[in-house]
Amino acid sequence: MAELLSKDEFRAALEEAIKGREAKNASFSLAWANGHLKREHFARWAENHYHYVGPFADYLGYIYANAPDDATDAKDFLLQNMYEEELSDIRHTDLLIRFAEACGTTRERVVDPRNMNPVTRGLQGWCYATAMREHFAVATAALVVGLESQVPSIYRKQLPPLLETYGFTEDETEFFDLHITSDEVHGERGYQIVLDYADTPELQQRCLDLVRAGAEMRYAYTKSLYDTYVAPDLGPEQPAPTGGDVEVALGSA
Amino acid sequence: MPRISFLTSGCAVDFPDGDDVNMLRVAIRNECGVPYKCASGNCGTDRVLVVEGADNLSPPRRRERDRLGDLLAEGYRLCCQTYASGDVSVSWDPDQKALDDRWIDRALPSKADERLKRRWLAESDSAGSDAP
Repeated sequence: MAELLSKDEFRAALEEAIKGREAKNASFSLAWANGHLKREHFARWAENHYHYVGPFADYLGYIYANAPDDATDAKDFLLQNMYEEELSDIRHTDLLIRFAEACGTTRERVVDPRNMNPVTRGLQGWCYATAMREHFAVATAALVVGLESQVPSIYRKQLPPLLETYGFTEDETEFFDLHITSDEVHGERGYQIVLDYADTPELQQRCLDLVRAGAEMRYAYTKSLYDTYVAPDLGPEQPAPTGGDVEVALGSA
Repeated sequence: MPRISFLTSGCAVDFPDGDDVNMLRVAIRNECGVPYKCASGNCGTDRVLVVEGADNLSPPRRRERDRLGDLLAEGYRLCCQTYASGDVSVSWDPDQKALDDRWIDRALPSKADERLKRRWLAESDSAGSDAP
């Protein structure tokens, strides 16, 4: 039977649960960072990514509803996160669509759910199911720690080549620049909520399981983008460069 | 190890050599008391005066340049937009608010409210067209 971990031990275990499953190391991310993609590949990415991140405030809304009245700081965090996604500035999905249009696709194609592949559909469904059915601390662990907190490390590798290699402008890539910084804070606040409210051994273990699953889901989603849209053009997965911080990718995740 | 010194609260945080870390994330994680609100470079609540180590900070991002304007040349940075890769010391006014007091009030009345009104009007138009 698992024992209750201290907050430091639990945080380290959460970070460990993501390791080896980081989406920044999936084939599509590597091809992106290495300058191998074409604008049409980014267009397909945007048409899929919209359906994963577009409902993020919806996912958070379900978690919010499951959080008890006395978890005020957790509820405030969730509400603030929803507000920032949708209303505080330019709607985040509008920034994604701006990038998509720069890649040659259209708003209509991006918002059309028929243009996502089955793995994206699975990721979206997993996010909805987790948000609706899990304890609010577990769902926060899965979606904010497992998924959202990875964003800065992914986009910090992907934004420079967008500007320097692929020739996009700062305006066209604002979606990435915004998330590099805002998701640092969302991720950190998410960790705090999970560390505070996953206060039994069972909840902590469930959080670790779901963080692991979330990281695997995002990895699989990112890999599927390569398999579906890039491999037919460029051939099989590019080998990971040596000497960097890239870890061995999961086999069939 | 490099160190971030949050002078106003007396908090100091070390981080591993070779890392670069988001200043606001470090402040939140270690409860260093830097005030913040949007964490997106819009409000400016988390502005700090760089007392030492400006060269160890990432170049100003677009939102930071837009938000801080002339304050950037005076040595201010936005914690949420800034990464540190070496020793740095910062201070701030513990009671500081958003740079533009209208920021909070302005968001809903203009951009968001217009969007919501457009959406409601569109929905009411389409509802009307379906009416027998």
